[in-house]
Amino acid sequence: MILMELKKFFWMFKTDILSLWRHKSRLVSILTFPIIMIVLFGYGMGGSIEHIPTAIVSMDDGSLTNTTVEAINNISLYDVKNITNDVELGKQLVDKGDVKATIILPKNYGDLTDTQTKNVILYLDSSDQIASQALVPTTEQLFTGINTKISIEKLSALSSPIANSGASIVDTIKLDINKVYGNVKYIDFLVPAILAMTLMFSCMMGMGRSIAGERETGELARLFMTPTNVSTVIGGKIFSKLTIEVVRALILLTTAILLFGVVIKGSIILAIGMLILGALCFVGFGIMISASTSTQEDYTQMVMPFSLPMMFVSGVFYPVETMPWIFQKIAYICPLTYLNDAMRSIMIKGSGIGDIWIDIAVLLGFTILFFILGVVKFNRDV
Amino acid sequence: MKYAIETKNLTKSYGDFLAVDKLDMKIKNKSIFGFLGPNGAGKTTSIKMLTCLIKPTSGTAKVSGYDIEKEPNQVRNKIGMVPQLVSLYKDLTARENISLCADYYGIDKNIKEERINELMELVDIKYAEDKLVKQMSGGQKQKVSVVASLVHSPDILFLDEPTIGLDPTTKTVLWDLIQELNDEGHTIILCSHDMYEVDKLCENIGIMNKGHLVAFNTPQILKDDLMKEKENNMKNQAQDNGNMNNNLTIELSVMVDNWLNDETIKEIENLSFTYNLRSSSDDEGRLTVDVDKFSHKDGINEVIVIILKGGGIISSISTTDPSLEDVFVSLTSNGMKK
Repeated sequence: MILMELKKFFWMFKTDILSLWRHKSRLVSILTFPIIMIVLFGYGMGGSIEHIPTAIVSMDDGSLTNTTVEAINNISLYDVKNITNDVELGKQLVDKGDVKATIILPKNYGDLTDTQTKNVILYLDSSDQIASQALVPTTEQLFTGINTKISIEKLSALSSPIANSGASIVDTIKLDINKVYGNVKYIDFLVPAILAMTLMFSCMMGMGRSIAGERETGELARLFMTPTNVSTVIGGKIFSKLTIEVVRALILLTTAILLFGVVIKGSIILAIGMLILGALCFVGFGIMISASTSTQEDYTQMVMPFSLPMMFVSGVFYPVETMPWIFQKIAYICPLTYLNDAMRSIMIKGSGIGDIWIDIAVLLGFTILFFILGVVKFNRDV
Repeated sequence: MKYAIETKNLTKSYGDFLAVDKLDMKIKNKSIFGFLGPNGAGKTTSIKMLTCLIKPTSGTAKVSGYDIEKEPNQVRNKIGMVPQLVSLYKDLTARENISLCADYYGIDKNIKEERINELMELVDIKYAEDKLVKQMSGGQKQKVSVVASLVHSPDILFLDEPTIGLDPTTKTVLWDLIQELNDEGHTIILCSHDMYEVDKLCENIGIMNKGHLVAFNTPQILKDDLMKEKENNMKNQAQDNGNMNNNLTIELSVMVDNWLNDETIKEIENLSFTYNLRSSSDDEGRLTVDVDKFSHKDGINEVIVIILKGGGIISSISTTDPSLEDVFVSLTSNGMKK
């Protein structure tokens, strides 16, 4: 009896895998999708913003001016297009849109003996919000660094004279900037969530094809005409879906490691375990929805309002804590939030089961709920 | 067991809508039963209840002796269904599809392969056993579908529009197959809109309309009933009109090469037959005569004699009986008026 059910279970798996294997285009798309996702997000969003066209207005040529200009040139955020001594020209360049910002050094900038405050102006094209957001902190950081260095040197100059002050200023400045723009950090933050998000989308969408689609085209009807439990059929579907999704998640993870040097600080086994739990949860959601939909179109329409908002509120791109309070509340009822949190904890912080047990418990709860609702609501009707 | 299917007050409602209303039906064992009805009449809903895909709202039904609600798995073991939609896995081969079904029915693996081979040879699809379903023609797919539905030797086979969209030759092959399966002892429930098919194959038919069974009998009796009904209607109409000229039901069309003279026409009128004369040229035309088969057994002969006497030359002759299609339209459009 059990052997027979196992055979049916295995058939479902075999059917799905064989269908995939004989549908080469679908197979290729399924396997390359995670690679495309990670490359897209890794290079498109995970990388830092660089080479923003910038102009510099410098009205003297003291050693401090020169080293400052050199420092700006050395920071990859800026792409210095023009160095002029004409303030008006510098502003015009921004107004015309040739550059995103002009850094205007005052006349007394190079004069270290001058005790007056030196007003550096960042003339900024604030209509480009993304560029501005990157330029302001970097420029602030740069001049704070220079300011600090000058103060220290002024103090030390009282005791001993310094031969070449410029070079050491630049060194200090560079160090600061690297800390702020650690490229690796955002991709590290992103990869665990991209994994979870990709998993969510493909599980939800895949379940639609698998159940609602087969309901529509009638294959499931034939199986439901046989003396077979609904749960055996669904179980087989889940098993094959799970296998495919875990393989895809591993492809994504491997790509992330190879291309972006992402490291998993915690246990890989735990990470994979979490992915399987996540996949089960989203597959369960898919079954719950497909239990009462009769076409694939219906299914897609019903899943979209859940999956898309979930992607935005559950902290894939920004931490949940930085979102408006209403989104934070919504985030708490999204399974993806917990999967994101668990994956990040394992991969970035190296957490063990003890640290993420809440995430595991909540995901498990959602999974059980979805499955119960799905199987209860599921009808054989076609 | 006398009846393959017995329903008692079988009812299915969706909210306020009664899809099937107190269906009482007994289908003889080992017969071919035609299940007809316009779209939305409740046919599909009835079949779904009988095949245990949905549960009835009230009433009971026994399929192959088992109660559809209490013993659904026994019922499932006794029935096979060839759905309208070719519901096979397109990326599997014919054999894989059938083998999958066999395992879902829990067929002993020792007899499985033999049984599959036997059936494939019976429907003549063995030559394509390793072909993927998506590469098959409509007829081949339908044959695989039939094999997959027969793999567990069901007592009752449901066929839903089995020949829809198939070419005439393949249709004939499938009809022969249906007959053959019936000869082997399978009860066949055939749902179809193809009246010719139903008339040809079925011993009994049931016509559903608006959730009710409006007719249940042999095709011939239903056709005769319609003819009598038509005759009565005409008689009543004639009485209303004050003459008896219209009590006619059989239609006879005669092509006459030489045009008939007025006298001949008068003679036909005297026999109280109605006629319709259409001429396409001076010496060619078509005469359609409605003859009452019941009161004028020799009506056809009389008309022919009159025409020949009058000098007409008959180039072709055809008679039209009421068809099953007429029965269908008459019963279901009446229902629609109600």
